[in-house]
Amino acid sequence: MKFLVQTLAILLISFALQYFLPWWTMAIAAFAVSYIFDEPPFPSFLSGFLAVGLLWLGMAFYIDFTTDSILTPKINQLLPLNVFFMTTVIGGLIGGLASLTASFLRLRR
Amino acid sequence: MKVFKVGLTAIITIALIYALNRGWNFGTPIPPLGKFLDPFHGFWQNAEQEKVNDLELKIPGLKEEVTVIYDSLLIPHIFANNDEDLYLAQGYITAQHRLWQMEFQTMAAAGRVSEILGSAALDYDRGQRRLGMMYGAQNNLKDIESDPVLNSVSSSYTAGVNAYIKSLSYEDYPLEYKLLDYAPEPWSNLKAGLVQMNFSQTLNSGEKDLQFTNALKAFGKETLDLLYPDREEVGDPIVTNTGKWNFKPVTLDSVPLAVPDEYITITPPEGKPRGIGSNNWVVGGKKTATGSPIVCNDPHLSLGVPSLWFVVHLNSPAVNTMGGSLAGAPAVILGFNDSIAWGCTNAQRDLVDWYRIQFKDSKKNEYLSDGKWIPARKVIEQINVKGGATFYDTVTYTHHGPVRFDESYHGDNERNLFAYRWLSHDGAKPVKAFYLLNRARNHREYMEALNYHMGPAQNFVFGSVSGDIAIRIQGKYPARRQGEGKFVLDGTKTSTEWKKFIPFDQNVMIKNPESGYLFSANQYPVDATYPYYVQSGDFFEAYRNRRIKQLLDPAKEIIPQDMMALHNDNFNLQAYESLPLMLSLLDSATMANLSSAEKYAFEDLRKWDYVNSIETPGAIYYEEWWNELYTAVWDEMKNAKVAMTFPSEFTTIKLMRERPDHSFFDIQQTPAVETLSQLTIDAFKKSVVKIEAWKSKNPQKSFDWANYKDTYVQHLLRMEPLSFHARNGGNSGIVNASSHRWGPSWRMIVSLEKTGVKAWGVYPGGQSGNPGSRFYGNMMEAWEQSKPYRLKFVKRDQLKKSTLATTTLKPANS
Repeated sequence: MKFLVQTLAILLISFALQYFLPWWTMAIAAFAVSYIFDEPPFPSFLSGFLAVGLLWLGMAFYIDFTTDSILTPKINQLLPLNVFFMTTVIGGLIGGLASLTASFLRLRR
Repeated sequence: MKVFKVGLTAIITIALIYALNRGWNFGTPIPPLGKFLDPFHGFWQNAEQEKVNDLELKIPGLKEEVTVIYDSLLIPHIFANNDEDLYLAQGYITAQHRLWQMEFQTMAAAGRVSEILGSAALDYDRGQRRLGMMYGAQNNLKDIESDPVLNSVSSSYTAGVNAYIKSLSYEDYPLEYKLLDYAPEPWSNLKAGLVQMNFSQTLNSGEKDLQFTNALKAFGKETLDLLYPDREEVGDPIVTNTGKWNFKPVTLDSVPLAVPDEYITITPPEGKPRGIGSNNWVVGGKKTATGSPIVCNDPHLSLGVPSLWFVVHLNSPAVNTMGGSLAGAPAVILGFNDSIAWGCTNAQRDLVDWYRIQFKDSKKNEYLSDGKWIPARKVIEQINVKGGATFYDTVTYTHHGPVRFDESYHGDNERNLFAYRWLSHDGAKPVKAFYLLNRARNHREYMEALNYHMGPAQNFVFGSVSGDIAIRIQGKYPARRQGEGKFVLDGTKTSTEWKKFIPFDQNVMIKNPESGYLFSANQYPVDATYPYYVQSGDFFEAYRNRRIKQLLDPAKEIIPQDMMALHNDNFNLQAYESLPLMLSLLDSATMANLSSAEKYAFEDLRKWDYVNSIETPGAIYYEEWWNELYTAVWDEMKNAKVAMTFPSEFTTIKLMRERPDHSFFDIQQTPAVETLSQLTIDAFKKSVVKIEAWKSKNPQKSFDWANYKDTYVQHLLRMEPLSFHARNGGNSGIVNASSHRWGPSWRMIVSLEKTGVKAWGVYPGGQSGNPGSRFYGNMMEAWEQSKPYRLKFVKRDQLKKSTLATTTLKPANS
């Protein structure tokens, strides 16, 4: 339960920040939320990864759907891996690492 | 332990953020993946929804409100109350759709690509600087600034572009900026000068002076004249006015040629591909169904997307004009207004000379001129390199022009240093002629407008609602003595310089000829009684023009759809004049031993109707066979250690017919002495092998000419997913001049009817430069099929039912 709340919090705050601010501000959101929630490292990492990953994937799908995939296949061919995969993983990885850092910071030992 | 874990993950996180926030270059450039893939600001934001919204924008610099109505093709119809607002709006709107293209093309012209793409572009950039592109652009800028009208128009346009750029944040950047990780820089009037230079480089830098000089030395004058005649005696020139050139031409004292003793081992810059050029024609009222003239134009350029052309309708109290504009420059360039229409084809002529310079020593600080040592000027070109050290290139300038190639850059030996004199180094009052043409109401005003056109020289075709037709070959031309300019010149004598220019009223022109029509397809410009020496810089066109005449001459009751069909004419006159001969050279021994693939090819060629249509395989066999034969015939040129050029296709075929025993039909490198027949047979066999290889590599593609030719409209960055393949017929040398990478970049037909000018137009690509837009490639199919769109050249209130969206531009403090 706490895990879900943490993930949702990261997702929503990142969404709000990213609307106006550069892409990496989601890392700040992930770090701050994870610091507060003080979960062990692996769940923390997973929470940040899923939150930002799903946020980015969701936005990407939304755009792809509302634009009839007009640009997606072209960029897909330019990139070495699937564009949705890369979007999710890159966003998720940074979110997860930021959360992990916060978790380590709270770790007693 | 904990400190270590925290520290390590923190460092990794931050390092990763840094790495994903900037672009990298491992041979291929990689975008900043974090920024790029971010759906809130990255490339995802460039995807456009189907609905185009109405916009209301506040624009600094605007005096009054401007209304921009977009039609279903996203063509902006710009309605302004004064001219400054009109051109400001044109700048803003063009930038809205084509900013990246405009900037990239001017960066390429200026030799600044290394700033964007890194050291891989350094050699190219140095070449552009040494060509004098910035030098010419600076002179163009001086011309702009000294002409009040041009200054106002240019500055307004620049202000519009800058207003757009200022409004952008990262997520609004065009896709290519995000891919290459850089930001747009402010626009300037200098960039308008660079657009002019870019066009000049494409159109009038073509020459073969170095190659002709080497050929003269290798073969002697008689053979040289045989291989590279100044005019191929075939077809009609653009203007026939025999015996009526009633002016006193400027005269010059004659000067002997100064051909160097040694070959010139410079590798000349790559010239235009063969067979490119353009078509235009005008048919007068006597030949049309409506009784009004029809003007047509299809300029042939490198097929790229976004297109060079951006269609626009400009309307203010002083002007109402529509047509193709050049992204980056104000006004309409190829188009029409309520009274007239005009179009351009490239006026092929050699506008470059190479002057051999004798420097005092290797420092190149002084050079000889009329017996005295005069100082050279050193210009240090600074080339900024992304991800690398700034490069400083010292270019030596003489009063003729820059020394393009020297010991630091693709040079010859020290004794052969040449200064490059190019007409386009001179200021050319860019756009002024077109600005005036936009407003011209009759033939007289067309003539006055053209007096401002220095270059690149064009064949301007003209028609008016009042019934006049005309053509004028306009540019600033040096007055040449017979044979001059075809070879390199002696730069130590000022007598070899361009002393005089042909007065504009002595340029080739004609109005309302007996024939009732006029056309140009880059053929020889004028009849033999014209007193000035004309040299193409390579050779004049010999096929498209004759086919156009063949179809236009008997035509009556012409309607615009006939003109669309002519644009798409795929008849291969070169094949018609060469294939029977080639087939006859396959001797009986060869015929008895054909492989099955060769038998098939032979049968196909025999049945072929000489039309390069989409489906026909006959065209494939002919074109490959001809390519092999043409290359084999001129192996001497191809394998020469010094720069040489092939004679034209027409001259080659003429020699094949008239001089089959000529020694050129022997391949030098083999001990045996080949004959034309042997060359033809070998070429046939080689071509069939090549075609069979294509077939096995492309089993999924049907074996037809369109697939084989593969007309490819390529994005400027050469990225395949952003480019288009087209299926159409034709080839270079055919009226439908679509080859693999070149073709009709714009097709325009204007019917100058008294009830209202009607026009049609199309180009490959679309009005939007955004690959994420529906309007990026929406015109491809219509262009492929030569079915141009009706251009809505109507009054503002008549646009209501065709409106896709409206953009209202308001002054900033309103």
